[in-house]
Amino acid sequence: MRLHRRTLLRGMFQGSAAVMGVPFLDCFLDSKGQALAATGQHLPTRFSTFFFGLGLTTSLWVPKKAGLDYETTSQLKPLEPFKNKMNVFSGMRVMVDDNPNFQHWSGNAAIATGIAPTKASQFDSKTIDQTIADVISRGTRFKSVAAAASGDPKHCYSSLGGANTLPADPSPMALYTRLFGPGFQDPSKADWKPDPQVMLQQSVLSAVSDERKDFMKNLGAGDKTRMDQYFTSVREAELQLAAELKRPEIVAKVDIPAAPGEMPVNYALPNVRTVTPLMAKLGALALATDQTRVFNLAISEPGSNIFVPGDPLGYHITTHMEAIDQNLGYQPRVAKYNVYSMELLASVLKELDGIPEGDGTLLDHSLLFAYSDQSYAKIHAVDGIPIMLAGNANGRMKTGYHIAGGGAPVSRVGLTVQKAMGLSVDGWGKGSMETKSAYTELLA
Amino acid sequence: MAAILVCTVFGAGSVWAADNSHVAGLRRLSEQEYRNSIADIFGKDIAVQGMFEPQVRMGGLVATSTAVLSVTPAGFESFSKMADSIAIQVTDEKHRGKLVSCKPKAANAPDDACASEFLGHYGLLLFRRPLTSAELKARVNLAGAMTKSSGDFYTGLRYGLAELIQSPNFLFRKEMAVPAGGKAYTLEPYSRATRLSYLMWDTAPDAELLKAAETGELNTAAGLEKQVDRLLASPRLETGMRAFFTDMLELDTFDNVSKDALIYPKWGGAMAPSAKEETLRTTINLALRENGDMRDLMTTRKTFINRSMAAIYDVDFSFDGDWMPYEFPADSGRSGVVTQVSMLSMFSHPGQSSPTKRGVALMDIFLCEPTPTPPANVDFSAINDTSGPLKTVRERLMAHATTPTCASCHTHSDPIGLSLEGFNTIGGRRLTENGQLIDLSATIKGTTFKDGPGLGKYLHDNPKYPACMARKLYGYAKGVNSEDVDATVFKAAYKNFTDSGYRMRALLKGLAESPEFFSTPAAIQDASAEQPTKLASH
Repeated sequence: MRLHRRTLLRGMFQGSAAVMGVPFLDCFLDSKGQALAATGQHLPTRFSTFFFGLGLTTSLWVPKKAGLDYETTSQLKPLEPFKNKMNVFSGMRVMVDDNPNFQHWSGNAAIATGIAPTKASQFDSKTIDQTIADVISRGTRFKSVAAAASGDPKHCYSSLGGANTLPADPSPMALYTRLFGPGFQDPSKADWKPDPQVMLQQSVLSAVSDERKDFMKNLGAGDKTRMDQYFTSVREAELQLAAELKRPEIVAKVDIPAAPGEMPVNYALPNVRTVTPLMAKLGALALATDQTRVFNLAISEPGSNIFVPGDPLGYHITTHMEAIDQNLGYQPRVAKYNVYSMELLASVLKELDGIPEGDGTLLDHSLLFAYSDQSYAKIHAVDGIPIMLAGNANGRMKTGYHIAGGGAPVSRVGLTVQKAMGLSVDGWGKGSMETKSAYTELLA
Repeated sequence: MAAILVCTVFGAGSVWAADNSHVAGLRRLSEQEYRNSIADIFGKDIAVQGMFEPQVRMGGLVATSTAVLSVTPAGFESFSKMADSIAIQVTDEKHRGKLVSCKPKAANAPDDACASEFLGHYGLLLFRRPLTSAELKARVNLAGAMTKSSGDFYTGLRYGLAELIQSPNFLFRKEMAVPAGGKAYTLEPYSRATRLSYLMWDTAPDAELLKAAETGELNTAAGLEKQVDRLLASPRLETGMRAFFTDMLELDTFDNVSKDALIYPKWGGAMAPSAKEETLRTTINLALRENGDMRDLMTTRKTFINRSMAAIYDVDFSFDGDWMPYEFPADSGRSGVVTQVSMLSMFSHPGQSSPTKRGVALMDIFLCEPTPTPPANVDFSAINDTSGPLKTVRERLMAHATTPTCASCHTHSDPIGLSLEGFNTIGGRRLTENGQLIDLSATIKGTTFKDGPGLGKYLHDNPKYPACMARKLYGYAKGVNSEDVDATVFKAAYKNFTDSGYRMRALLKGLAESPEFFSTPAAIQDASAEQPTKLASH
C-alpha cells in the first residue's frame, strides 16, 4: 500500500480518521520497516544517557574474555537479557593531567566531555549529550529532556559548559507534565490542529529576543557569556513553539498513559526502584513520539546517597567505610549496592526495548550511554570506570562486545558514540585524553 | 501608588545606555525573590506555579551563585510559562478592576494610552527602574498587535505584561555603576534602591524607595539614612532576614535530606520543614523581636516547638496552636541553634550521626573556615567496624584521624562534631552508643569544652563567629564570594555591630550606610567585541 502522508493528514482533518488506530501509521514504514516510506526519512536515532554513582566492583564485573561471547559476570547478570544489544567497556582511563582528581566529579565529567575538569562540580565544555542534541534534535519540541530518579533537580550531568547544569525533572509527575501536559500535541487525536495561541506566544518570545542588543550593552565578558546562554534559551523556547505548530510524527505504536500521581521520590532504594522505570517509560514515550531525541536519566548524584532502609550509612559512606572482606576480597555490602545500579539500568533498557518500532524496538534505534563517576569508590579511583553502550543506533553500532580498554583514554568511547550518532567529528577530548581513535571495529 | 509612578519614563540619555557607565552586577533572581516580588507587585492572590532552577552554594552562600548562574533552556521554558500564567491572572475579569488602572475605549480594539499607562506602571515595578521611551513603545506595540490578533484589549495587555515578566530586565537584577569622581564608581540610584530592598525585604523596591531613587535622595547621606531606617523599622525586615538566615544557616540543605525511617520511625515528612521553621523562629526572635546579642544564638535555650519537634525533643506539647515558645531545661544539653534538630540532622548520615559532617558544616557556617576535601586515597574502614573493640563513633573516628595524612583536617573539623555526639542523627538526645557512655568532650587549639553548652559557649566567645556572620551578610548583599571578602572593606559596618553589642539591625544599618556598600570597581576593559550569539540549532 502506498499512501501519501499529506493525503492522510488532509483526510484526518476532514474527520475521516476517526477509525484510524495508531498501528495504521506503520504504513509509513517501508517493507524493511526502516524508513518512512512517504518521506524517505529514516527513523531518527535517539540518544540517552544513564548515570549511576559509585561504579562497580572490578573483580565482580569485568569479564575475563574480551570481544564477542564474553562470559556474564555476577555484576553484569541483571543486564544479561540485553547482552547482545549492548557493549561494555572496561579498563578505560581518565587522565587528569595537571588537574586535581576531584572526588566524585573528575571521572564522570571526563567521560561526558573528554576533558579533565578544572573545577569541582563544573564541566569545562558542553557535555556530549548536548553536542549530539545540537545535531539530532532539529525540529523536535525539546532539545533534550532530563530526569532525576532520587528527586533532586541538580542530578543532571548535562551542561552547556560553566556553572549551569541543565535541571532535571525531579519526579515522574513533573516529567509527565513537561512532556505530555499543556503544549503536547497528541498526534493520534483525530481533530488535531495547531493552537493559534502558540503563534501569539511566539510574538512574545520574539519581543524578548529583541531585548538582546540593549541588554548586552556595557556588560563584562563573563556576564556576556551568561546572557548569551539566556538568549540561547529564549531561542530554544521559540523553536519549541515552532515544533508545537507542526503535527508531530509518531513513529511507534504507543499510547500516552494517564498522568502518574504524587509519590515519594528520594534516596530510599525502594522508591528509586519504583521511580526509575516510570521515568524511563515516560522518556521512552517522549523519544517514540519525537518530543525529543535526547533523554538523560540519573538515578543519583556521583557519590550516590541512595540507601537501603535499615542501613545507617547508605551507599556512598559504605563505599568508604566498609572493610574489604578478607575471604571474599571485596566489600560485600558495596557489591550489593553495585548490583542494584545494574538492575536499575536493566529496568531502563527494558522500557526502551519494550516499544516496538518498525522492524525492531526503540532501543534498536537508540544509543544509550551508561557510565559512573568512580571505578573503585573506596579510594576515589577513576581508572576503569564501568561504561556501557546499549542499542545499535539504527544499525550503526555493532553490539555484543566487551571492549577491554587496556588503559586507553576514556574519550575514545565518547568519540565512538558521536560517530555512531552520525556526527562528523574527527577527534575529541583535550590533553592526554585528546583522541582521533574511535572504536571503528564497533561502527557498522 | 499608580498615580505617583505612571508617567515616569527615562529619556534617551539615561545612565542605562550611557557610555561611561557599566554593569557592575547581574544577579539572577532567586526563587524567593521572584515570588516575593510578584506578590508585592500584583498581590498575594496571584499564584506563582512552576519549576525554578536549582540553587548552587558558593563560598557558603546561595546568594553568591546568583551572580554567576544564567538561565538554562528548561529554566527559561518554565519562566516563560510562569510569566504567562501570572499575566493571565492579572488581566482576568476577577483582577483587572483592581490591577488595571485604566479602562480601554473599546474592549475589542487597541488603546495605546491605557496600555501605556498599564505597561509603564508595571514596567517600573518589575524592572525596578523606569522603562526608556523606546522600551515602553515596544511593549505597547506588542500589546496592540496582540489585541488585534485576538480581538480583545485585555488579551493584548496579558501578552505585553507576560513579556515584561520573562524579560532579562526582570529575571536579572542589573546593577549599573556610574563614575563617582577620580577612578571611583558607584551604583546609580535605582540600582541602590534594588540592592537595599532585596537585602532588607527580599523583594523589589516599593514605590517610596523608587521615588527616593528618582529624586536623587538615595545619593545623599541623609536621604539614604532615612530610607535605611524606614526599611529597618518595617515588619517586612523579617522576610528579608528569614531569607538571609535560610541562606547563611544552609537550611535549604533540608530539601534533599533523607532519613532512614526504619531506624528512626519518628522521622516523617513534616520533620524537615518543622526543623527549619524552628531555627528560623529562634533566629528571628533573637535578631529582630528581642533585638538581642547575636552571639546568644549559640547559647540560648529559648526556642519554639510544634508537635513534630516536641516528639524529637521528648517534651510535652500542651498547646492548642501550631507553635509554642519553649525553654529547654539547663541540663538538657541544648544550646542555641547548634543543638537544634535542623543543624544536627542536616549534617548526618541517613541512620547515623557524623561528627565529621557536623564539624565541617558548623566550622564553615559559623566560623567561615571551610575544611579542605580529604585526599582521594584514604581508607575509612576502621570508622565503621563496630564488631571490633572500638564501640563508639568517636573511638573509631579517632583511630582514623590520628593517621598523619588525616590528622591535619580532622583536628580542624572534628572537635565541634564530637562535642555533639550526645545527639543522634535526627537530633534526639542520647548518652550511650552500643552500650558505652559517650565522651562528649572536645579540644580546639588548647580550649577544652564539653557537650552542646560547652560548644555553644566556645562559639559565643569566639570573635570569629560574629565576624563570620558580618562577612556572610556582606557577601549576601553584594553577591560576592564571602571567602574573598577582605575584612577591611566592611570595617565601619563591623564596628557598628560590635559597638551595639552585636545587634543585627546595627550591622545592617552600618553596612547599608557605609561608603563601600555601593562602591564598585571600575569596569574591566573588555577588548573582545561582542560576538554574535551562536544559536544552537535544532
